[in-house]
Amino acid sequence: MLAILKRNKWSYLAMVAFLFLLILLPSQWFLGQKTFLLTLIGINTMVTVGLCLLMGYTGQVSLGQAAFFGIGAYFSAILSTRYDVNPWLAMLIAAMVTGAFAYVIGYPIFRLRGNYLAMATLGLGIIVWIMFKELSQYTGGPDGLGGIPNLSIGGFAFDSNLKRYFMVWFFCVCVLLISQNIVRSRTGRALRAIHSSEAAAESVGINIAQFKVKIFVLSAVFASLAGSLYAHHTHAISPSSFDFLGSVMILVMAVVGGLASIWGAIFGAATIQYLKSEILVQLGNNDVIVYGLLLMLVMIFMPKGLFVSLRDVYNGWRQRRSQRGVVT
Amino acid sequence: MSSPVLEAKGLSKVFGGLTALDKVDLAVEAGKITSVIGPNGAGKTTLFNLIAGVYAPSSGEIYFQGKPLGKIPPYKRAALGIARTFQNVLLFDNMTALENVMSGQHVRSRYGFLEAAIRLPKAHREEETISLKAMRYLNLVGLGMHTQQNALSLPLGQQKILAIARALATEPKLLLLDEPGAGLNALEKQGLGELIRRIRDMGISIILVEHDMDLVMGIAEWVIVLDSGQKIAEGTASQIQKDRRVIAAYLGEEEKVE
Repeated sequence: MLAILKRNKWSYLAMVAFLFLLILLPSQWFLGQKTFLLTLIGINTMVTVGLCLLMGYTGQVSLGQAAFFGIGAYFSAILSTRYDVNPWLAMLIAAMVTGAFAYVIGYPIFRLRGNYLAMATLGLGIIVWIMFKELSQYTGGPDGLGGIPNLSIGGFAFDSNLKRYFMVWFFCVCVLLISQNIVRSRTGRALRAIHSSEAAAESVGINIAQFKVKIFVLSAVFASLAGSLYAHHTHAISPSSFDFLGSVMILVMAVVGGLASIWGAIFGAATIQYLKSEILVQLGNNDVIVYGLLLMLVMIFMPKGLFVSLRDVYNGWRQRRSQRGVVT
Repeated sequence: MSSPVLEAKGLSKVFGGLTALDKVDLAVEAGKITSVIGPNGAGKTTLFNLIAGVYAPSSGEIYFQGKPLGKIPPYKRAALGIARTFQNVLLFDNMTALENVMSGQHVRSRYGFLEAAIRLPKAHREEETISLKAMRYLNLVGLGMHTQQNALSLPLGQQKILAIARALATEPKLLLLDEPGAGLNALEKQGLGELIRRIRDMGISIILVEHDMDLVMGIAEWVIVLDSGQKIAEGTASQIQKDRRVIAAYLGEEEKVE
């Protein structure tokens, strides 16, 4: 009992520290110049968390998450620029359409397993990407869409990077908390059970097909929300952000963070987005090599992910230290 | 004889050219320990998989509490009250012992994604019941000390017991145990036998597939013998031990091997 209380105390402390850091990060004497990047990290974290739930907890591969990210972005962009729909309403419609889409393709696609599932989701991502490129009367073709308005509440427009930073991270923290609640629930156990053994999961009454589809839909909705926020953050979108490489980037973020870790997603998204925007800019399109290498190295040496491995090392060190303390 | 909890009529299962079960009729009496024995390849595990709904029978029908099971999928059979363990244990390796048993409560609890996502009081209440019940089942099988340990960090004997606790947590009427004694030492087997009797005393009917004859003869109240997919004999343990066909097909062989 005491152990549970103690763990709760620490997780509350960690949460408060995390929120405090979120508020401090964009201040001028910290990372004030980087609010555009920090906002992108929040957006990527939302997509990555969805993939972590699907892949890390449920064990179902998706190489097409960028499709859902793109559908969210395009629906928001098209509805708010061409049809004058309120951007918030557009965002909601986008999320619902994406969710419905994921639901409809979820049932057939999750009859597949392992490599076959990976191939099917890969194909899905490519088909959707081609649609972004080719349905040019709606999507603007390869050039994409521009002039996407800012989100606003009443008269308050999110018209600066700083304002958008707080809005995006508000959404992001909500998504993280929802994910954490799900993971620590009956549903979370069902998902992990499916990951571990489908036969045993069925034997305790878990409806495998239904849970797989539901978590797929949830990950798609997270990606769609992130896509909408992305469209309103960058004000212009083009198909190249939602191609196969986009899906791979999300995968790398999830893997670096540690697939079965909700909070690791922030770490993964931050690391990769920072590499991409700040360190590897000179490499141009060759930066793919670095991500591929990173993916390989992490999978070989730290299959649980960079974040989780570092955490394990820290926990081990703390344990050893406390044991030494008892001896002396 | 009281009404059977489970009945099979003309049950057959053919895999390609192999007849794994051939027109088997059997009845499992409620509240009793029934053991299914037979040499390797006799069709015992196939029988289990048919009862649990993993495969559909090629012909014949299984009746649970008088109702045909038909094509009801496995997860719904768990809700009806059929629980099982597996020969290869199949514990959830990404969970603690307690969480494994809590998973067993899945079928007896309701709250889903939405209630979990925003932590409605309903979710909290149910979660409390689930963990209390899971704790009770862990204590029942004698693993109360190991709640927070990863399931696979337990020794094999305890893993098998934990798998039984997980099955019990589905609150079954019928429990299928697939070789629970395999890999256990003599002392553990003795404990297992006592545990199975205690489960029977809770009013749960048990079908036990087992190779260990001491265990079977010690606790089974009815024994059904399968050989090459056919039922060759049934009766009480002492009747079976005297049955010449069984000795020829099975027990004689078994003694020579040991």
